Amino acid sequence: MLSIALGELIQIFRNRLVLVTMFVLPVASSAGYIYLHDTVPGLGLGGVAAVLLFLVVAMGLYTTTVTTLASRRQNLFLKRLRSTAASDSEILTGLLLPVTVITLVQVVAILVVLAVVAGGPTNLFLLTAAVLASVVMMLGLGLATAGLTNSPEHAQVTTMPLLIGTLAVAGWVGFSGAEDMTLLKRALPGGSASELVVNAWDGGVPFADSLPLLAPTLGWVVAAVALASRIFRWEPRR
Amino acid sequence: MTTTPVIDVDRLNLTYGDFHAVRDLSFQVRKGELYALLGTNGAGKTSTLETIEGHRVAASGTVRVFGRDPRDRGAVRPRMGIMLQESGFSPDLTVRESVRLVGRLTRRTDDVARVLDVVDLTRKAGTKVAQLSGGEKRRLDFATAVYGTPELIFLDEPTTGLDIQSRDALWDTVDALREAGSTIVLTTHYLEEAQQRADRIGLMHKGAFHREGTVRELTQTLPAEIRFSLPDPAPAPPLHAVRESDGSFLVETFGLQKDLHLLLGWAHDHAVELRELRAGPTRLDDVFRSIGSD
Repeated sequence: MLSIALGELIQIFRNRLVLVTMFVLPVASSAGYIYLHDTVPGLGLGGVAAVLLFLVVAMGLYTTTVTTLASRRQNLFLKRLRSTAASDSEILTGLLLPVTVITLVQVVAILVVLAVVAGGPTNLFLLTAAVLASVVMMLGLGLATAGLTNSPEHAQVTTMPLLIGTLAVAGWVGFSGAEDMTLLKRALPGGSASELVVNAWDGGVPFADSLPLLAPTLGWVVAAVALASRIFRWEPRR
Repeated sequence: MTTTPVIDVDRLNLTYGDFHAVRDLSFQVRKGELYALLGTNGAGKTSTLETIEGHRVAASGTVRVFGRDPRDRGAVRPRMGIMLQESGFSPDLTVRESVRLVGRLTRRTDDVARVLDVVDLTRKAGTKVAQLSGGEKRRLDFATAVYGTPELIFLDEPTTGLDIQSRDALWDTVDALREAGSTIVLTTHYLEEAQQRADRIGLMHKGAFHREGTVRELTQTLPAEIRFSLPDPAPAPPLHAVRESDGSFLVETFGLQKDLHLLLGWAHDHAVELRELRAGPTRLDDVFRSIGSD
């Protein structure tokens, strides 16, 4: 598994397109948000943190997961790996470990910058739970989307709905709160995680009331993994 | 050579939707054998091979490799090397990195430099896979299959795209592996390779075995041919010589040496010149061409 992860890390740093998608876009967008956080009225810090989180996990982690898996399948690298003694879970873990670790480092770095510039979160534990749940959710959704994606080029189309959707939901919930249309906002992918980030950063909501917000996010994980187990293909369609 | 089956396929059926790709296929491969799985396009040999390798699930029937389910990768794959029909390497990794990665994942041990030397890719060790030629990619594929000298090696079209020197080198390596006790399962479109090297051949057509056996067993099911032309005028030739559309004669025989001797004696006795005389034993190509005409 670590051999696969090492190989994947080498490939990430040798592929300019992946580097731009993974690093430049999320970091540049995040820098813009942090720069603008006190110039735009009505931008709460919790909302900014939620959008920053989803900028990285959606633009970096989710799209890279889908593109990587589609690419490795298209050039038969997945089949090659399955010709070895590695199990399917070892292969997937190895392939996705580098991008996941890089994403977590990016999220931590960006949120630390936000905390230093504008003030830190009220509840670090809740924030950590929200970040981890969001990362796992986007990995699950990435696996499921990869099942519908034939090629890296096709990934530019198939990732659009969830990429735009989760960013929109993060912004919607982050900046307008979840007081109205609560059920809908919490049910949408990224909605409850964004609310959790807002609660963790801004405070004011009891810990026990915030913790159940993990459930919808984990529900998306279960749904995505169940879908992926049905539609994920290891070889190109013949 | 012992008779312990390394591979045991019993009434294997494979389907893709409504299409029945393989029907009730049964065969065994014994330890140390070179078994060639040949067939017409779409005969089901790749599907069969991939099921034995553990890549596909049978609709019914059983496949055992080393007595185990081939999908039990942790148990079976360390003993098995697979050369896929298409490369499947990451274009951004170098040759050395690719062999090291796949080699480690097989859980066998070997020296990457040694393996690269065996397939003559030492000079390309630092080259990205994307920059290799088709033949070099096949050699890289072969390198990962033989890494750690596995007990069982699958070679799927191993010499496609290779120049003659590389082919000879590949077969020399296969011979060395067989001497070390490895079992080989081969698919190829180069029938002369199978004819020269296979201990047994399974000849597939439409998802089932058309014939199975040694080269001798397969070729002796069809008559050998003697072809010749005669000057005009000439007496009627002996044997059951059939006149072809181009005026030449064809004799089909299961006793090539005897009938050839008879024909040459007849020509001598009648002072007739046998023009364009050709005679030869039945080849695997002839057996292959007979598929569909039976």
